[in-house]
Amino acid sequence: MPNKLSGLFDSFDNLDQIDINNLIAWLKPTPEPIQIENYLANKILYPQTLPLTASDMKIELAILREALRLNGPKPTDIANAMLGDNPYLNITLRKIIIPAHFLRFVPDLKSLTWAFVDGLLINRKKKDIFEDLWTVVLVSETDEVVGSVVTPEFKNKQDYVDLNILGKNLRVKAGSLTVIPCSKNRCKIAYKFANGKLLGKKEAALEISGGRLGFLIDGRNV
Amino acid sequence: MSFLAPTRVRIQKEAIVRLTRSLKGNGKITVAPGQEVSPSEIIGTAFVSAGFRTINLAHLLEVSPQDIEKYIQRTVGQRIYKGELLAFKSSFLKGKKTIVSPTDGVVDFLDLKTGELRLKFLPKKEDLPAGVYGIVETVDSQKGHVVIQTSASLIFGMFGSGRIRDGILHVVTKRDEFLQKKFISASLGEHILVAGSLIFKDVITTAISVGVSGIITGGINAKDYKGMSGGRLIFPKKTENDIGTSIVVCEGFGSVPIGEDIYELLSSFDDKFVSVDGNKGIIYLPSFQSQSLIKVKNTQLPPIQENETIQYASEGTELEEINLGQRVRIIGNSYPGVSGKIIAVDQAETLMPSGINSFMATVETKRYRLKIPVANLEIIL
Repeated sequence: MPNKLSGLFDSFDNLDQIDINNLIAWLKPTPEPIQIENYLANKILYPQTLPLTASDMKIELAILREALRLNGPKPTDIANAMLGDNPYLNITLRKIIIPAHFLRFVPDLKSLTWAFVDGLLINRKKKDIFEDLWTVVLVSETDEVVGSVVTPEFKNKQDYVDLNILGKNLRVKAGSLTVIPCSKNRCKIAYKFANGKLLGKKEAALEISGGRLGFLIDGRNV
Repeated sequence: MSFLAPTRVRIQKEAIVRLTRSLKGNGKITVAPGQEVSPSEIIGTAFVSAGFRTINLAHLLEVSPQDIEKYIQRTVGQRIYKGELLAFKSSFLKGKKTIVSPTDGVVDFLDLKTGELRLKFLPKKEDLPAGVYGIVETVDSQKGHVVIQTSASLIFGMFGSGRIRDGILHVVTKRDEFLQKKFISASLGEHILVAGSLIFKDVITTAISVGVSGIITGGINAKDYKGMSGGRLIFPKKTENDIGTSIVVCEGFGSVPIGEDIYELLSSFDDKFVSVDGNKGIIYLPSFQSQSLIKVKNTQLPPIQENETIQYASEGTELEEINLGQRVRIIGNSYPGVSGKIIAVDQAETLMPSGINSFMATVETKRYRLKIPVANLEIIL
């Protein structure tokens, strides 16, 4: 018999170090800080509890974003970067690693991946052009590639990229976050930017990992 | 299908426990191990120094600081009582100036650079009553501690802050009300207050300033709790803290009414001697029945261990299978602190508005029935 019930935040032992103002920044409409601080404290006290409402789920995801930010790789870690140096982001292999059991607590894979992107990548200074593309892996006893995260370099807010994915044309504007389904293991895409670049090129075609997520294009970093 | 939930002991009735009574200053213990004691029995006497007061004699006498020795009527170390002459100056031009002592005390220090005199208040004699029916187990005359074995009901709160303190319990508010600053008066000094669903920082600081020994509350704001626990939220606590009063939080963070089970028990001890251990989150309610001594005499506690592991209220929860009829408490952020009885457990998952599929249990409270994920339940033992 287990001696403890598991929860979304089991692997984080520093949730009390989260800055409440950072947490609140993820929530709209802006809640009272005291409410969110008490919510977080009760979560630390009873980590196994489940959110009942949609608004509580938003708070859980905000906590997850900040927990990942706190526990993600730090700029100082780069000098000693090795394979598997961080449990959630493998910079060498450019993988976003999501523990599969997280889906029990956040069943929407899109929202879960989005939280990982916000927590781990949004403020990350790219080391090289290869950090424009990340593979998303669900990790349990066996690993499952569920898709990719693409972070293009838009030049300005008016910028856009035209995509051709599996024969379909699509335009993604700068500042947006888009999830495109592609359940195949490998998905062919062709792209052409107005001004920006992906993997150092304005226009190219490539194959990226797909899966039950597809791929998430994060164009918010303008 | 069976489901597991954590268990929690909230109340333990009529346990035989050790209570430590301590002198508030240097003094003498007047009981010996093996001696039976009753609540009003004096088990020791201490002499407590209550601080000092500084008087600027140079300013009051209108003389230079180095001259105050000429006018002072007492020497350093001498005792003086309120209203007695402390300093006197007679001048042909300015007339007579007399300074009397504002309080009973001892002339402690004279500063000829600033012209200030420090008056140390006279130590007050403070008797230490046993507070409980019990048998003295050990006496530490040097530290002024007496360990008494007694019969007490124990309430295990969730967490808290502060060393062991005791006093007369005073139920100030209803279980679902906030304790407001206006309720705290000097007459509540050395009392343990039952505060309802939430206490704020200003109430705590006021309580400290009037010498309230302890506060029992349903909830507290996380920010205030962090402020008294070294800025961290770690359960069980790894360090002990003390801010000058002892606080036991029975339910959780935010405004959470004290559970009916705990509030009823506390109410039955209104105006009685109790003890709170904030750091462990435990409230001791010693029996006020003299017959309880019989049980104390017939119970053998294991010997006191040196470096005994501290058992915290929030420690040692184990998982148990959920069964119909069990008393449970809802935990987490929805319906916090609500308790009731399990009347049904679903065998199929329900999709909740949060998007999570979960097995649900139906909990019947005094007023309504709630469907709650089994993960949000705690079995009350």
